[in-house]
Amino acid sequence: MKLAYWPGCVSRGFTPELHGSMELVAPKLDLELVELDRANCCGAGVIAEHNQELVDTLNARTFAMAQDVEGAAGMMNICSTCQGAQSECQERLDADSAYREHINSNLDAEGLSYERDGAWWNKNFLWLVVEEIGLDTLREKVVRPLEGLRVAPFYGCYIVRPTRRLGFDEHPERNRYLDMLIEAVGGESVHYAGSHKCCGFPVITMARTTSLRQAGRHLADAIDAGADCVVTPCPLCHLNLDLQQPEAVKYVERDLGMPVLHLPQMVGLALGLEPDELGMDKHVVKTTDVQRKVAELAGA
Amino acid sequence: MAEAQDFTLKIRRFDPESGEQAHWQDFGVELDPDRSVLDGILQVKDREDASLAIRCSCRAAICGSCGVRINGKSALACNTRLSDAKQTASNGAITVEPMGNMPVIKDLIVDMDAVHWKKIQRVVPWLLPEGEPPEREYIVPAEAMIDVTQSMACIQCGVCVSACLSLEVDPEFIGPAALAKAYRFVGDPRDDHTEERLRDLAEDPHGIYDCTHCFACIEVCPKDVAPMSQIMRLRRRATADFGIKDSNNGYGHEKGFVDIIEKWGTLHEAQLLPRSFGQGSAIRGQVEPDAVKQLLRDMPTALRGLRAGKITPKKALMHPKLPGQKNVRRIFEEVEGKKERLELNLYIVGDDGDQAEGAQAEGSGES
Amino acid sequence: MPHHDVLVIGAGLAGQRAALSAAEQGANVGIISKVHPVRSHSNAAQGGINAALDPEDSWESHAFDTVKGSDYLGDQDAIEIMCREAPDELLELEHLGVTFHRDETGHLGKRAFGGASAARTYYVADITGQAILHVLYEQLMKHDVVHRYEEWFTTALVQDEEGKVSGAVTRNIRDGSMELFAAKSVILATGGNGQVFNPTTNALVCTGDAIAMAYRIGAPLMDMEMIQYHPTTLAGLGLLITEGARGEGAHLYNADGERFMEKYAPNKMELASRDVVSRAEQTEINEGRGFPDGTVALDITVVPRKRIHEALREILNVGRDFAGVDITKEPIHIKPGNHYAMGGVKSDTDGLTSIPGLYAVGECACVSVHGGNRLGANSLLDTLIFGRRAGAHAGKRSKGSPMPQPSRASLDDEEARIRAIFDRERSGRRVSEIKAELGATMDEKCSVYRDEEGLREALEVVTRLRQEAKVATVDDRGTIFNQDLLGALELQFMIDNAETILVSAIERKESRGAQYRTDFPDRNDDDWLKHITVQPNGDGEAPEIEYSEVTMTQWEPEERTY
Repeated sequence: MKLAYWPGCVSRGFTPELHGSMELVAPKLDLELVELDRANCCGAGVIAEHNQELVDTLNARTFAMAQDVEGAAGMMNICSTCQGAQSECQERLDADSAYREHINSNLDAEGLSYERDGAWWNKNFLWLVVEEIGLDTLREKVVRPLEGLRVAPFYGCYIVRPTRRLGFDEHPERNRYLDMLIEAVGGESVHYAGSHKCCGFPVITMARTTSLRQAGRHLADAIDAGADCVVTPCPLCHLNLDLQQPEAVKYVERDLGMPVLHLPQMVGLALGLEPDELGMDKHVVKTTDVQRKVAELAGA
Repeated sequence: MAEAQDFTLKIRRFDPESGEQAHWQDFGVELDPDRSVLDGILQVKDREDASLAIRCSCRAAICGSCGVRINGKSALACNTRLSDAKQTASNGAITVEPMGNMPVIKDLIVDMDAVHWKKIQRVVPWLLPEGEPPEREYIVPAEAMIDVTQSMACIQCGVCVSACLSLEVDPEFIGPAALAKAYRFVGDPRDDHTEERLRDLAEDPHGIYDCTHCFACIEVCPKDVAPMSQIMRLRRRATADFGIKDSNNGYGHEKGFVDIIEKWGTLHEAQLLPRSFGQGSAIRGQVEPDAVKQLLRDMPTALRGLRAGKITPKKALMHPKLPGQKNVRRIFEEVEGKKERLELNLYIVGDDGDQAEGAQAEGSGES
Repeated sequence: MPHHDVLVIGAGLAGQRAALSAAEQGANVGIISKVHPVRSHSNAAQGGINAALDPEDSWESHAFDTVKGSDYLGDQDAIEIMCREAPDELLELEHLGVTFHRDETGHLGKRAFGGASAARTYYVADITGQAILHVLYEQLMKHDVVHRYEEWFTTALVQDEEGKVSGAVTRNIRDGSMELFAAKSVILATGGNGQVFNPTTNALVCTGDAIAMAYRIGAPLMDMEMIQYHPTTLAGLGLLITEGARGEGAHLYNADGERFMEKYAPNKMELASRDVVSRAEQTEINEGRGFPDGTVALDITVVPRKRIHEALREILNVGRDFAGVDITKEPIHIKPGNHYAMGGVKSDTDGLTSIPGLYAVGECACVSVHGGNRLGANSLLDTLIFGRRAGAHAGKRSKGSPMPQPSRASLDDEEARIRAIFDRERSGRRVSEIKAELGATMDEKCSVYRDEEGLREALEVVTRLRQEAKVATVDDRGTIFNQDLLGALELQFMIDNAETILVSAIERKESRGAQYRTDFPDRNDDDWLKHITVQPNGDGEAPEIEYSEVTMTQWEPEERTY
């Protein structure tokens, strides 16, 4: 399947292991990724906060570029925040034809135009695996079932709310895709309070206590529920849950030490890729225990 | 009307006079699946146990009394259909428990005064016009009145307060309902204390910059008030219209982020911290004592990132510009150079579906 | 003992307006409500508020429409006051912050409403009552001179030896404590009695508490037979679809696709008076031209989508959430349903009742500005105008007069009454069963079309239910939020309301306004152009009936066509 691919900023910035692992996983799933290398930041909610017309124009630009990729089935992103921020713009662009025309006029100079098309889509890797590839197909491709690995799903706000905007009416199961995917690769999905809550990243510079209490609390809940690791489709969540985890410890006053995987890393492990290839050494919280468990699986 | 069906309601009971802990109790009800969870609860009260306590009155999502959590999700009991609730119920039983983030008084009744109304009072919730009123009405743009009517539509049910993920970790957060209420005055052209209100809410460490942007309030609001969107508009007014440089880095974070995208097209994370701490300026962020203090606090995190190999010195210092970045810059210049900010509020215009004509983008009345 | 110059019971629009206005006079004011004030049923007034503010319009025109709408039963002096004072009241609300809809010039915009000869209904989308209620509550939060008792239930009014009202007995719902309040004046503002009927557009709190409490101490009730059935309510649930929908252009159709109002009101069509439209619908339904679910269709799809979003938002929600209908795409099925009590505690234009020290305002009162049929968007106006006038009157009156010392005996009596409820054998019917039978009976026998036989049958049922209510089973013996106990007390209030409604309806042997007697199908001005008042007549006896004249100023009764 050929896809217009928008990796987002952070996957090429502070979480390079995400971009890297996605590139390795794609061919194993028969995905041909055409990276949108001229596309801009989705705005991450911040540009939307600043100026709605601006963010709608910027994302219409990305969509237009994706629509220009010949033979692409659709557009894929690998970041919950990109998904949410872009869906918000797409909702407005699709809702009102006069508004869409107005936004497109901002793109005239570049010869770009976003066309409303019910069949065109922009999906996070998570949605894409479940809806376009199919969990049965994925199961067939698994060479290393993650049996016995207890994985706590962490979705990220932008990919689960608001449900109406994110197409949950049509796909109500999107609320539990990550759990389903964990099970499909042989792992055990761990239920805990924080799976659909906020990692706190958006306010890390503005309300540090709120931010790190959130991250710390969800990690603690995952630990208490007996998880071996957390997995997330959102690199921003990853920053707060992994990079900031040693700081979060101070706000929940308990030890944490919970490894946090990117979704393509977990899928990659199941598809037979090695932890090193997937950049699992590039985490702040060591993934050694997860790696050992996986190695044991391979040995078994 | 459909046939009546059997439903199980698993209700969280708490009687402060009994000396017992809160516990779950199952009740069977028989109702048309289109009827509401509230109708189910009322049937329990009517037929089985009239001591079951819940505030309710209008049955039509207008009075805002019956906020609860249904299968964990905050909602009004009166406009949640039994059939819908059953779909999200695990093991077939629809769970009903009191709202979150507020102390429970009895069964499904919480103390809204202690949290919700205290915060409403906090935002100076009345109009503060300047001077004597005119002889007739205030002349104001029609769009502005329609625009604030979205937050006026709030019925103070507390469902968003119950769902708020910032309040869950910071009980001092002013919260979605009260901040939406604040926008009702900030967005009202008749109010004369716009800047003062915004400054107050921007400077409060538990104010507009304590909202973690999680969409929980938007998701649960039964009246489409979209509290988080109102909070984002408060931020927008504070930064773009009044340039309020708050001590929570709200201004710096927004300005820093936007400037970075304008300059590079994608996010240069290493630049975001100093710019956030320096009211948007990377230079100030690295020299001003307060900013430096905050940067130093983040040094251990940066070092951990370096050690892990996530952050490289090169990446911290250099960021590649997008190919064709001038196009992105041109969009910034063009859109930001417009005299009036354009906002399409879907609350007001709805979705035009396939209608081509009649759809108009609305200016929000902000200028 | 808490004591206030002015004690307001009920915190909807009438009560809040009265409290603010009494406080403006410098009075020490307390306001008691069994629910938090913003939960009050004034919220449900969707369509708007009438005022002849436009220079092209006149208060006289508004007053005439109101008189005609009342089927000439309204007191014209009171109607004149209400319509004359309406524009100033509206402007004051606007100045306080109500977000009234604007036209394209930025001035107040208005919409058409039923029974009106000009568009004079000012509105906030279709949440007008809610918007005003919340803005008044903002003023209460701003001025803490008004002491708020939120979630306190008033069980009885207290009189001194001379019969003057000196306070009230209340129960703090949150902790179950009973309290005796002393007050120089008591203003009743607890709203209507729609819960006596089932279905009804009214909220569960609308149990006619003040009407019953005033009646019990001898205050005459007036026009009680005049119960408005609103033309557009959802079948089954009884929820309201605003008249504003028709004001915005929506049409009514029967099952044959016929726009039937042509036959009944060829000029005003869907915007005739509510009694006229409701009767037309009921006739269509009774004669077999309704849908199988006993309804006719309201077609709002003729209103542009964007206009629906900005002006009929609530109806969009009600349709989606409670009827599963997208009103922008398909018609919604509706029928006439219980909505409003024109009658209530007889009061004058300052809200004073026949009992010294006791005022009544809003839906629980009968001034009478609505007579036989209330015009849409006149109820908000009534609450505000007479709420303000009563508050000001009571506030002024309190100056210089001593604080009464109500006897603790009244508190003891009420405590004993509640203990007796707790001590009941658990062998009686459930409160909910009695209430359900009451509501169904009233809706069956005392709705759009009535006759003596049916009304007498209903009265027999109500007389039986009164005895059953005295021994009804109560499950909850607790103190904190004992809603079961409150339900038992409310049930007794409702039965007083039902009895006085039926007795008055039987008495009026003609058809006028909301009362249509199939056995007396014509209006009879010679014999019945007068108010019926009822007073209690000792335990177990039928209420005493009296008549009072309708005040006429400038409008003689005419034939009423739309």
